[in-house]
Amino acid sequence: MTDDYSGVSGMQHEEALLFEHAHEAATPISLPGIDAELPDALNGFRRSRQAGIPGLSEPESVRHFVRLSQWNHSIETGFYPLGSCTMKYNPRVNEQLARLPGLAQLHPDQPEESVQGVLELLYELQQWLGEITGLAHVTLTPAAGAHGELAGIMMIRAYHDARGDRRRRTVLVPDSAHGTNPASAALAGMQTIEIKSAANGRIDLDELRSRLNDEVAALMLTNPNTTGMFESDIAEICRLVHEAGGLVYGDGANLNALVGVARPGDMGIDCLHINVHKTFSTPHGGGGPGTGPVAVNDTLAPFLPVPKLVRENNTIRIVHRDERSIGSIFGSIGQTGVLLRATAYIAAFGRDALHRIAEDAVLNANYILARLKDAYHVPFPGLCKHECLLTDEKQERHGVKTLDIAKRLIDLGFHPMTVYFPLIVHGAMLIEPTESESRETIDRFCDAMLEIARQCEAGDTEALHQAPLMPIRRRLDETLAARKPVLVWPED
Amino acid sequence: MLDRIGVDSIRDLFADIPADFHLQPGSLKLPRALHEAGIVRKFTRAAAANRHAGDTRCFLGGGTYHHFVPAVVDYVISRGEFLTAYTPYQPEIAQGTLQALFEFQTMIARLTGMEVANASMYDAATGVAEAALMARRITRRQRVVMAGSVNSRYRDVTRNYLARLDGETVEVPCAKFATDPDAVIAALDGDTACVIIQFPDFHGHVFDVAPLRAACDARGILLVIAFSDAALFGELTPPGELGADIAVGSGQSLGVPMGFGGPHIGLFACRQKFVRQMPGRVCGMTRDRDGKRGFVLTLSTREQHIRREKATSNICSNQGLMCTANATYLSLMGDQGLAAVARRSIAALARLTGHLPAGVEAAAGARAHETVLSFADRETRDRFLAIALQRDIFAGIPLEHFEPDTEPRHLLVSTTEMIEAGDIDDYHAALQEALL
Amino acid sequence: MSIPADLKYTKEHEWVRLEDDIATLGISDHAQEALGDIVFVELPEIGRRIAPGEAFAVVESVKAVSDVYAPVGGEIIEVNELLESEPEKINTDPYGAGWIARVKTDGSSAELLDEAAYTLFLEE
Repeated sequence: MTDDYSGVSGMQHEEALLFEHAHEAATPISLPGIDAELPDALNGFRRSRQAGIPGLSEPESVRHFVRLSQWNHSIETGFYPLGSCTMKYNPRVNEQLARLPGLAQLHPDQPEESVQGVLELLYELQQWLGEITGLAHVTLTPAAGAHGELAGIMMIRAYHDARGDRRRRTVLVPDSAHGTNPASAALAGMQTIEIKSAANGRIDLDELRSRLNDEVAALMLTNPNTTGMFESDIAEICRLVHEAGGLVYGDGANLNALVGVARPGDMGIDCLHINVHKTFSTPHGGGGPGTGPVAVNDTLAPFLPVPKLVRENNTIRIVHRDERSIGSIFGSIGQTGVLLRATAYIAAFGRDALHRIAEDAVLNANYILARLKDAYHVPFPGLCKHECLLTDEKQERHGVKTLDIAKRLIDLGFHPMTVYFPLIVHGAMLIEPTESESRETIDRFCDAMLEIARQCEAGDTEALHQAPLMPIRRRLDETLAARKPVLVWPED
Repeated sequence: MLDRIGVDSIRDLFADIPADFHLQPGSLKLPRALHEAGIVRKFTRAAAANRHAGDTRCFLGGGTYHHFVPAVVDYVISRGEFLTAYTPYQPEIAQGTLQALFEFQTMIARLTGMEVANASMYDAATGVAEAALMARRITRRQRVVMAGSVNSRYRDVTRNYLARLDGETVEVPCAKFATDPDAVIAALDGDTACVIIQFPDFHGHVFDVAPLRAACDARGILLVIAFSDAALFGELTPPGELGADIAVGSGQSLGVPMGFGGPHIGLFACRQKFVRQMPGRVCGMTRDRDGKRGFVLTLSTREQHIRREKATSNICSNQGLMCTANATYLSLMGDQGLAAVARRSIAALARLTGHLPAGVEAAAGARAHETVLSFADRETRDRFLAIALQRDIFAGIPLEHFEPDTEPRHLLVSTTEMIEAGDIDDYHAALQEALL
Repeated sequence: MSIPADLKYTKEHEWVRLEDDIATLGISDHAQEALGDIVFVELPEIGRRIAPGEAFAVVESVKAVSDVYAPVGGEIIEVNELLESEPEKINTDPYGAGWIARVKTDGSSAELLDEAAYTLFLEE
């Protein structure tokens, strides 16, 4: 059967650590500039011994890192259905554009008149994100989604404080939320209270009502939520929170389900961060850089962080100081290179086609759900949005857990889905195909999942427990790593 | 596909979104869709409207530096396997990213002279703020002291991160564009969690840290040393040798383009005994089922996805790809190359300040590759900037951009190995013309 | 599942061994099994006063963190430093080498269950 899937095989090179190559390049790299000894005044400030950075020749270095790269799975290698991560294809033209010297070689403190071209592109993105979210005022500065959350909660706190309402120090967070939500609220000096989800995986309105009082600053909400379901009561949820004097923070991690189809701002959400490395296709880079612009309504606009981009006549200016602003949260105006890729991505869709992103993403996810819903337990039946949630309940009867299913998928040539998140269901498997996958790929993935389910039913589970067997490494001992942390290679 | 799902149209899939909120397709106020060629033209035009360091002479610093980046660095991080992978949560199929992270952590620890390093922060400014928070956790004290000679952007962000939490944050005023360790020591007390200095400081000043280290020891205070250009430690005393408990700064100089403010990378290193209080992801070495060496993300219980509101930080996405860029850069440079980068960066500034015409003055004291030039008045300074720019020279950053309370007649000037002798001759010539 | 008869237990799955006014504290076999491989134990400071029900230590596995609550009140007089290098002792010997701390009790106590009651509690 395996032959039907995109299994991996062939040459796999072992590759030593850089430090094990341990030879200084015969000729050090040639450099521009002025070759001179350290000035006398600095003689007392030399390092006492060399750092121990190995110098490799160019071909050695290239081969080292190319070999390492081949041990990675990536979107360009294959399907990557990580729920809540929106691993869509990253258009190559965006890489080319972000590297144009006139964009990549700009110092952030050049005179404004010498950087009007890049400022124009950033300002445009700011306006577009405001239009797409229905929240007109945007900061591009936050460096990642969690950083955007921090900025958003700081703004909400500043808003309450400005009204003299300094008791509001509580943030309500559903138990299905990303861990960043409570962590960001805590960093902004707020207490968090967890809201238990209802049996259908959505926010329990009675539970919400019982938690609302005059100490609540905000509800943090992900919609669609992390079970992949849309919170259909969103208007009522926002009304309840607003009536109680609070604001609604939207975690935009799942914006891919809505983009071009509906706008969080229209639903009553006051403030939303956007993960451009999800919805707007900037590459994840093995963990980052991301970027998390925050869009807010008029209520929160005065509190946006500095620096701000404003248009004055035909010039874009960077405003560094503003009395009501929450202040500075990052060392520059933002991660420009990431933002420019998002600008290019949105420009490619424009008003004509932006909605097709969400439509195709939701279509793909529902198709997977339809194909797998009989073989796997679906904790919350019904339509999903851009991702679908399954559990290992049926397979567990045969001694197979979510982790085994995930590892077996690797041997069958697919990156696993997100596992064990959200925390509110046991053995969660959260599958997000994104819009950029073909039906052919999705069918192959579903075939693999169905084959795994059949193997479980047949009691043929040895391959599942042994998996993965195909990659360069098998299951790794995380206990050993955590008990005796070795974070650096010891010196000779 | 719709048949299989059991709906008639794609829009039926959105039936759970109240009808009031459905947008008419095409109704957003966005431009029409552009084809690829159109996007390339749009961006090429925008790029052409900027002046950039690629064909000018860049004397701008302040935390972002125009160093040489070998072509290999961009090639490696352009590879789809590094570029389009997610956080390495499935380690068996992410050993490439993980080994690169382990190599990165090792080289950052070695370069900074520290015992361990994490897998990056967003940037130096947020890294300094995280260092202050970490020191508060370790010492269970709340007071934070910062030297006024730390980059104002690092201070702004740190002050802002701490502003909503209990405890005092103290900034020691800076005079003469230099760090006065005695003034910093005078601000310490028994309630102080940490003191944050920058080395070399924001104005490029290098100074004796030993008295401050001793003062910290006497009171159980952690010493946080910030830095803005990691390449300098190829030659200069690194934070670890200066006695830092936490070293935090920018890795932009190590193979990352200036990029109009990002993406850059925050480096974060500390003593081994503090790792469980460290923010951010770390990669650790382990073995697989067959006993082969491998790498995983570890110490995850510190992080937000497990500890939620009690996490050491809220950081999730970091600057992963820039770690790979730093690792590639460092492997090409080696100790010798890095030392040469540091020496050349410093030598260029020595040459620049060694022959200044009358009417402009460089800050006193030992400087690395950055200093402050002072003019009689704003008019003269700005005349010089304009003349220099006509000659394709970005001659410096008006200091009031960073420090708004300073008189508007100073210029922060920085050099790297990208500055050639002829560039400095041209710089001097522009100065002479402006000062006539 | 081991539940020694000479110990008392809490509903948070700590155990306590009382010998005069000295109490030895740890987590139960059930607790260690639920957590999985223990990788780190954050021990309290000697001399710290704790109240019944107060979190006084933290036990971590690879993917979970659990506070340890005091079954009795008093002053910490000794901690099991072996756990700093060998936290896995909690997995292999939760009632012996895996003890966490000793407390000089002040007589205060949380609700404690005997073997039979704890067994019943676990079955529920």
